[in-house]
Amino acid sequence: MKFIRGLIGYTIAGMIVMAVWGQLGAFGIFGGYLAAFIIIGPMWFMNHFVNLVGNEDDAAFVDMGLAIGVCGIMRDTFMNGTESLVSSLPTIGLVIIGAVIGGIVAAAIEKSMAKETEHEATAPEPGMTEKELDRLAETE
Amino acid sequence: MTISLGIATVLGGFLFPFAVRMIWGKMVDQWGAIGGWMAAAFVVGTVWCINHGISTPMITQSGTAWVDMGLAAGVGVWVASALTGGNVKKSYRNVLAAVSGGILGGFLLSLFL
Repeated sequence: MKFIRGLIGYTIAGMIVMAVWGQLGAFGIFGGYLAAFIIIGPMWFMNHFVNLVGNEDDAAFVDMGLAIGVCGIMRDTFMNGTESLVSSLPTIGLVIIGAVIGGIVAAAIEKSMAKETEHEATAPEPGMTEKELDRLAETE
Repeated sequence: MTISLGIATVLGGFLFPFAVRMIWGKMVDQWGAIGGWMAAAFVVGTVWCINHGISTPMITQSGTAWVDMGLAAGVGVWVASALTGGNVKKSYRNVLAAVSGGILGGFLLSLFL
């Protein structure tokens, strides 16, 4: 059942983005903003805020972007044949490499940020700098 | 595709999941569901401008099949989530659902576009 839920949610998101965005984006930058607001807004709300797709709290998060990306590639593959898919493989590979690096860097930064807030939580006064905290530790 | 365009494409793929992880969750924490709509407009909208919207976009399309930056979000956010303690095994069902959903959606679109 949860698979069916996910399948429906991801399919709808992929279809609406890949059918409508191109035509709104043709109106330039503001068409893109409008598309982001009227498509990604409700689709995110349905899939991830309501959690139609059923991401578990403790599982790695599967964003609807994955379905949207695959949908765009497969739309043109179904319409133009597999040579279309092959011609796009370089871009697909490079984008995935960039995405993996982005994910690793974001995770490292989030861990560093979490450490900062932990440090702050143990500080005797809010807003105390780490330097002051270290000095305090030395005198103790 | 030249080396320069290739580097730009990698960086375009970097930019989107990075911005999503830095901004989206915090906006939802701050403003609730409205934060998600704000993030949809100002993360997806703004990054779309540089990755796809401008006349020589950061993500160069090497072929005729459209490679959307959504692919980067799906991969990058999943990697970041797995590295910050998300269980990879438990996410396989959703990965499979997302990939099948994308293929099904692509097929359904090819019926009428």
